[in-house]
This record gives sequence, C-alpha cells and structure tokens, in this order.
Amino acid sequence: MTFQLGLLRLTDSAPLIIAKELDFFAGEKIEVSLSVEPSWANMADKLGYGLLDGGVMLPPLALAVGMGLRGAPERLIVPSSVSLNGNAVTLAAPWADDLPLDRTGATSIDAARRFGTLFRRRAKKPTLAVVHTLSTHNLLLRYWLTAGGIDPDREVEFVVVPPAETVTAMREGRIDGFCAGAPWGEVAARLGLGRTVATSHAIWNYCPEKVFTIRRDLAQRRPGELQAMLRALLRAALFCDAPENAEHCAAILSREEYLGLPRDIILTSLPGTTLRRPSTSHANSDVSVFFANAATFPWRSHALWFLRQMRRWGHLDDTTDSRAAVGIYRPDLYAEAANALGLPVPSSDMKTEGERDHPWLLPAVPSPIPMGPDRFCDGTRFDPK
Amino acid sequence: MSGAAKTVHVSLSINLKVLLADSNSERAAAVENSLSDLGNALIVRVPPGSSIYDAVIAEAPDVIIVDMARPDRDAIDDLRRANAVNPRPIVMFVDGDDRSFMEEAVAAGVCSYNVVGAALPDVKPMVMAAVAIFRKHQHVAADLAKANTSLREREAVDQAKAPLMRRHKFGEPEAYRWLRRRAMNENKRIAAVAAELLAKNSEGSEP
Repeated sequence: MTFQLGLLRLTDSAPLIIAKELDFFAGEKIEVSLSVEPSWANMADKLGYGLLDGGVMLPPLALAVGMGLRGAPERLIVPSSVSLNGNAVTLAAPWADDLPLDRTGATSIDAARRFGTLFRRRAKKPTLAVVHTLSTHNLLLRYWLTAGGIDPDREVEFVVVPPAETVTAMREGRIDGFCAGAPWGEVAARLGLGRTVATSHAIWNYCPEKVFTIRRDLAQRRPGELQAMLRALLRAALFCDAPENAEHCAAILSREEYLGLPRDIILTSLPGTTLRRPSTSHANSDVSVFFANAATFPWRSHALWFLRQMRRWGHLDDTTDSRAAVGIYRPDLYAEAANALGLPVPSSDMKTEGERDHPWLLPAVPSPIPMGPDRFCDGTRFDPK
Repeated sequence: MSGAAKTVHVSLSINLKVLLADSNSERAAAVENSLSDLGNALIVRVPPGSSIYDAVIAEAPDVIIVDMARPDRDAIDDLRRANAVNPRPIVMFVDGDDRSFMEEAVAAGVCSYNVVGAALPDVKPMVMAAVAIFRKHQHVAADLAKANTSLREREAVDQAKAPLMRRHKFGEPEAYRWLRRRAMNENKRIAAVAAELLAKNSEGSEP
C-alpha cells in the first residue's frame, strides 16, 4: 500500500520531506505519498477518518485525537518524536523594541516580566496568536507568560492564526505577537515587523516539539511496514541533524510544493545556524533539533507533561485518564527500529525535567546519549513519578 | 478540549442559521441553493478575505460549513468553549453512527460544525446537502484535470512525431507506429515515450 502522510509548511516537517525526497522511504521498500495540509484541524480530521495514515503532528492534538476527544473513530499512536525546540515568541516592534533581548535566552523570564509591566502601563490587553489551541506553542507561551507573572486567561487575548498567516496578521496590526514554529519569526523580523523575545529553547531547554503519529489500527495490521517507516525516519532525522546537510535540506524544503519560502530564511532554523551567523546577530528563529539529545525518542514523561499542562489550562476535563493517555506514546515501537539501526535507546521511558543546567549523559543501550541542559525558565522541576 | 457537552437542549433559531465559508464562490452559490431548497435555513456567507472566527462571533450561527482548504479553520477549534465573546460554544459535526458519511465528507473536502446541543436530525440534512455539492465539484475538477492531462499528452505525441518524421523521413502514421512500438517494448504509455523523446531533444541528442 501507499502510505498517505501529512505535514504543514514548517521547518520541522523536514525529516518527513527528506525521507521522501532522498529515498529513505524507498530504500526501506515502502511507498509514501506526502500531503501538505493547510491546517492542524485538517491533519486531525483526516487522521481521524482514515484519509491520512500518519504525519507530523502537534503532541497535544495527537494526544487529544488519540484519546478520541475529537469524536473521530480512528485512534492514534506516537511511535516517534520528530523534533526539539524550534518555536519562537515574536512580539511586534512596538513591544519588542522596549524589551531586553538576549541571544542565549537566559533572560527570557525578564522579557515576560517587562512585557507584563509594559502592557499594564499602556493599559492595553495584548492579543497573542498561537497556531492551535492544542499546540505546544500555546502551552509554552502560557508557561512563559505565567513565569513572568502574567495571568494568561485574564490579561491576554489569545487568537488562533495559522503559522503562515501570523506575519500578515502582525503587519495588519491584528495581533501584538505570536508563538509559532520556524521560520515565521525570521520572516517577521526580516520585514521589520517584530522580533523574537523568547525562543522555545529559552522557555524550556530542548523542549519536545513535533511528534510522528500514525493510526493505531494500521500500526497493528502492518507492523513490518511501520518499522520500515520508522527506520527511514530515523535515517532522515540523522541527515537533517547534520549541519553540513543544512544547505541541501533548505533547498528541498524551500520548493513551492513544500514550504515555498526562500532557502536562506529556512536555513536560520536548521542545525548549525549559529556557525553560519555572525555571533552578534539576534536570533529570530529557534533552531530545530532532529536527532541529537534523544530528539526522536517518544518520552512518556513528555506526554505526561503535555497532559498536565492541557489540564492546567482547561483543555482536558477531570475525567481524562492521564496514565492511559500516556500509553499513546510507544517507546517500545521506537526501540525496535532504533535497535535495528544500532542507534542508542534510552534505558527508561520517563525522565525528570528542569534539573540540569549543564551537559550530561543519558543512560542508554548500547551507549549513553550526550544531552544538553533541560532547564525551565522559571527554574521549576518536573517529576513524572 | 472538554468532553461531551452537559446541556443537551439549545435554543436553535426557528430558521437554522447556517454560516457558509467557502472561498470558491461558484461552489458556495450551489451549496446556498441546495440548502435553500431544504426550506428552513438562513444562509450567511463568510465574505472573501474575512476570518471564519470573526464571522462566527458576529453571526452566532447554528451550523457552520467550511471548505477544508481554508487555513483559518484551526480558529474554529477554539470555539468549543463558551466565554464572554462566544456565548454559544460550537463543536465539529460528528455522526458517530455513520462513519462512511463522515469519511465521505472529509474526502469531499468539507467539514461542518454545530452549536453544542443541536440535535443531529436538525443538522444532518444541511451537512448532507453540502457534502453532495462538494463531491460533485470534486468530480468536475477531477474530470477537468483528466481532460487537461489527455490534451497535454496528445500534444506531446504530436510534437514528438515531427522530429521523427524529419530525421527518419517517416510519414506521420509511421512516426506514430514507431512511438507505439517503443512504448510496447518499454512497457510504457505512448505519451510517456513522447515526453522522454521531447526532453532528450531539448537536450540536443538525436532520437
């Protein structure tokens, strides 16, 4: 069969696009057809009614569809993650110009505090856009605002704007800022409309971003092909993570049928961008991580973090069984594919977050995985136990 | 995304107010006609260039019919919770007992929403009418694409015959037979052989 996989016009669709264009899927003898969707709702509904078999998805939305909360009959599983980092909070120039900007993001919490002070002084309730209510963007933006002493539900107006339209919305003055995936922050900055005041990495170091999802029934009926697909995606993730391949990836992603954007803009969000950019320049895109730092491992602790945040903001009611929902993440299926390629697999399905502010080694088989810090901007610790 | 709505009764407008968001004006007109035939619908179109979200807030419709190609559909997912600006929460139309109809709708590229608590029998005829029109338009578009393809293919075959006739001193039927033989030998369609030949010719090599 030909698998229909969906994606949106975003940098972190790269592994799927590369797996198709550079024949990683063909090399595993599976046929894949890619479908570029205009909205996350389309992804959810086409997956829910079997018109797509899988694709690159927002974890909170994948969890919601996986739990059947959208009313669709198909259930989903998450056998692999796709990327870490990659989002940015971009504020319109009238706000961003009066905030501290820091390349490393160490002061992202200060930016949130200053933003709060600023809009209260100006007596203006800011309108901020996210790409979907059930998105990492919404959860991270709310996390950042809260860390800066802002009450997201009372002090901010949230609107949903598709990533590709955030820039137009900012130009027309309909929104004061947005949290969206790369490269839209960079696009806004180049047009002089706004600047990035916090990257997702600055809000939560190496935070999980997109996941790869697939229909549960398909995974059960075609386990061999799912493994082939996961191996192809792992090879593509390795390719996309190598800085020396960034130019090649950007050229493919920039094509009209995929992102349809200039390649140098896409390049700012691909691995190795700091090597290509003058150290003094300001980062308006967060850089996606596709393999390093156990980026592809579907951490059940990450699923739990998302579920807790979704409940915190009223996206889930109290009847949701979080423990069962965590089972949508399938590290067992990931491990089988990684083992086949001789890639290391973490020894546990859960990890704490917010404990490490320096590089460390994650216990994994056959060899430990070098990891970066995992701090939250508010300095808290997350324990999935 | 909260679970099932707790209120099961909602005061629907006497004439169901249907908000129609379709950027294809021809198809929108057809949907509007079809819905008018049902007799109890008041149809309001989302003007081109304006957001569905704003239209929902302004119009407070009972039913919303949306072209799935619209990127601002994600904003409607945000309307499932009632608040000050949106007193009537809406959810995606789902007929849990009729999966094939739901699949048909998504495949046709149309999705529908209704105010929370609306009864299925009130809403479904509207959705069915819209799906029928979207399907019809999809077929027309597919036929048109097919016709365009076969026209382009015929043109390619005609163009490929000319250099063959020139170089091999073929008559037109011989040139066609040459292409057909090669297609059979290579297990390809004639149009594909013609296209390859034309591509090669443009690179400067001889057939």
